[in-house]
Amino acid sequence: MNSVSASLRTLTTKNGAIRSFKLTLSAAGFACLTAISTAGIRFDDCYLVEDIKLPAGSPPEVGAIDFAEDGTLFVVLRRGDVFKATPTADPAAFDWQLFATGFHNGCGIDVISPTKIRVTQMAEMTEAEDTDGDGLADRYLRFASGWGLSGNYHETNALTRDGSGGYFLAVGTASHAGPTFKHTLGKFSDAGRRGRNYSSVKWKGWVLHADKDGNVTPWASGFRMHNGIYRDRNGELWAGDNQGDWKETTPLYHIEKGNFYGHPSSLVWDPAFTKSKDPLAYYRDHLDEYNEDRTPAAVEIPHMEMNRSAGEPMEFPDGLPFTGQMILPDNNGERLTRVMLEKVGDTWQGACTHFINGRGLRSGNHRARFTADGKQLYIGQTVRGWGSPAEGLQRVTFLGPEPFDLDRVSIIKDGFKVSFTKPIPEELKDIKKWKISSFTYQPRWTYGSDQEDKKDHKISISSTDEKSVTLKVDALAAGRVYRLDFQKCDSPDGSPLQNDLAFYTVNTVPEK
Amino acid sequence: MRKTLLLLTLGLRLDAAQPPITFENRPMGNLDKPFVLRTYVPDPGIDDAVFSQHDTGHSVAKYNPGIGQDVKGEVQPVDGIAGAVAVNFGPALSYVFDTTECRLLYAWQGGFLDMTPYWGEPGKGSRISFGYVPRLSGTLIWQAEGKHPVEIDGKSISDIGPRVFTGYQLEKGVPVFGYQVGKHQFTFSITPTDEPLTFSASLTSDSTGELAFRGVEGARGKSNISFNITGAELGKYQGYERDNKITKASEQAGEKLFNQYGCAACHTLDGSKSHGPSLGGLAGHPVEIEGLEKPVIADSAYLLESIKSPNAMVVKGYPPNYMPPFGLPDVEYESLVLYIESLAAPE
Repeated sequence: MNSVSASLRTLTTKNGAIRSFKLTLSAAGFACLTAISTAGIRFDDCYLVEDIKLPAGSPPEVGAIDFAEDGTLFVVLRRGDVFKATPTADPAAFDWQLFATGFHNGCGIDVISPTKIRVTQMAEMTEAEDTDGDGLADRYLRFASGWGLSGNYHETNALTRDGSGGYFLAVGTASHAGPTFKHTLGKFSDAGRRGRNYSSVKWKGWVLHADKDGNVTPWASGFRMHNGIYRDRNGELWAGDNQGDWKETTPLYHIEKGNFYGHPSSLVWDPAFTKSKDPLAYYRDHLDEYNEDRTPAAVEIPHMEMNRSAGEPMEFPDGLPFTGQMILPDNNGERLTRVMLEKVGDTWQGACTHFINGRGLRSGNHRARFTADGKQLYIGQTVRGWGSPAEGLQRVTFLGPEPFDLDRVSIIKDGFKVSFTKPIPEELKDIKKWKISSFTYQPRWTYGSDQEDKKDHKISISSTDEKSVTLKVDALAAGRVYRLDFQKCDSPDGSPLQNDLAFYTVNTVPEK
Repeated sequence: MRKTLLLLTLGLRLDAAQPPITFENRPMGNLDKPFVLRTYVPDPGIDDAVFSQHDTGHSVAKYNPGIGQDVKGEVQPVDGIAGAVAVNFGPALSYVFDTTECRLLYAWQGGFLDMTPYWGEPGKGSRISFGYVPRLSGTLIWQAEGKHPVEIDGKSISDIGPRVFTGYQLEKGVPVFGYQVGKHQFTFSITPTDEPLTFSASLTSDSTGELAFRGVEGARGKSNISFNITGAELGKYQGYERDNKITKASEQAGEKLFNQYGCAACHTLDGSKSHGPSLGGLAGHPVEIEGLEKPVIADSAYLLESIKSPNAMVVKGYPPNYMPPFGLPDVEYESLVLYIESLAAPE
């Protein structure tokens, strides 16, 4: 009950005014608090961020998390242990039990059943099963393999289900901050070893497909560190990446078979890439060709302003605000980014803003899972190998009330329609409260790219309604990222606006 | 005893197949509950012929990420095994089974692995050096050589076909490794014995041919054979040695420490951007600090404070809490400052 009492304190001290509330206890045993306020809906009325206590003494470096169908939460720690627990209302009272152990930096998990899991570790994907019912896995079978391992620390792997019993696997590149071994698992490529982040052995920087029997085939190339991959309810495949060499900023990619997403080192393993034996040097010198060959991000997420390093994408489930939108954890900031996607013709694009920025969230946001009832979001965190510990497990409980927030930014032929979750005040319908500028990104060999060719745009309001503003933007063009600044204000019911900044990536401008 | 006490203190279950992994960088199992860990492991100098199912990593031209080009010098590959499983029965026996070659690579006694270089010091959690492979601790008693020692009808399975790892089963906590050669399935497991420098091995195959383990007298038979392997003292290992033995601060020592602590993962030397500010051209120059209106000069005192207490003054545009306080001896801090001061102009 700690969580509930904490919320009550927050509510009663916030405005100095007495605010009414009701307390309900759901069937699952989670405390749900619904505030009914005369002073509007605030962040704390909508979301509760809690630290989940992990087993005492265990390094809380969370590589991956997943739920079994019965609600048991499985947590992979990067030094090798997998713990399980049935979540409780008290975040400090989880009854953790060791389920399996010995994995090498496991960063992906699929829970098949309460007694069987599959984990992507450095050298392979392994199925661990408790066959004798003592609560501990005793059989560790290779489920899939076929990618190499150079000896570099950076080559971790993530997974998402493919919907047919198999998986899509995201296989990260190596870092120049670590070596390779004299004896490598899998074929070694001299050209692939070049550069800052590199692909000296097979399928580093690729998305692979593993079928239900574990047979692995390459799917898409050009990734640097797509630390997390997600197949959405419609079967679309998404992954972020980490700003760095050949990654202009944090991107969110829509992944399609055969595409190249921009980091050249992975192409040493692509037999269809015949332009050069040294793709890194080739594209450095042929940037126009590079731009023709690569598939750009669906959404560019500015590094400083929004997200320094993408974790695992996750969809808002039904029944919540922002259903169908995407959460992109920031592995290098106390932030979760919210991505609003839309398809224009055949092209995915959209906007991003903060979902949660600070508010007790730690850094290292790495993996994300919703509970089956869709009311709680668990976030696994790790930064090991990169800096000081900001690690562990947190959860965000959706308390019920909907915040006053940016709901969605949609493109029209000459501007953007910006919708909010609640009625907007008159001041937001004043063009002086809006500013739109734009810039371009050019990925190249540098560690990240600056925002280039910056422009301020003349804007006007073409229409408004109760919850939205439609803005006409002069010189709206494809290939640019639009920055939308707007006034922080309260809705007529007194709810403070949660965000005043969004970025929309225009890959294509609609004709109508 | 120490481990048991630690576990009791932490309130962890003692009936697990092995105790949970903690911040203890020298984890150990025991005779009843061997510790099984997939990890990078050291290569104590094993015969190249053993690695027939590996490829060879080469030295490559040094790459300067600041200019995006190769520069003078080479980066050498390091010793290590990628797809290994390390097992420890306490001081009685440790061994490495390699999932790529599907064979026992080496065995040792008196210790296990010191994970410090790879897992980092407790509470910091970063790799300690560029070559971060865990270090051996104990006495090496046996190591593999030549073709695969398992023979069918006198022929090494190296000459029969590729060996493909299938997984392992824990039988009373003891891992039994499985692999395939062609259509045939093999299993292999080893356990400690009371005899000096000796361990016991068990080998099975569904092949109908005569099974043998090369180099061990009497290790032959049909389908299921058990035998002892007696080694010799091949070398002693102390784990990770922390003491840098620096008595006087110097730029050279600072450079060594810069590489040892993996500073380059976040700080370039050439002015280019990374997770942390570049150190090239930093010393003596003004730095914009979060929360301060005026820049401060990066003098010795500033550099020292920034390494000792990274959150004291956070450079604008970089996140707080990202750099760990390393907790080093003063002589090491002073060496790092001297090294950074030597980088007055970018590389």
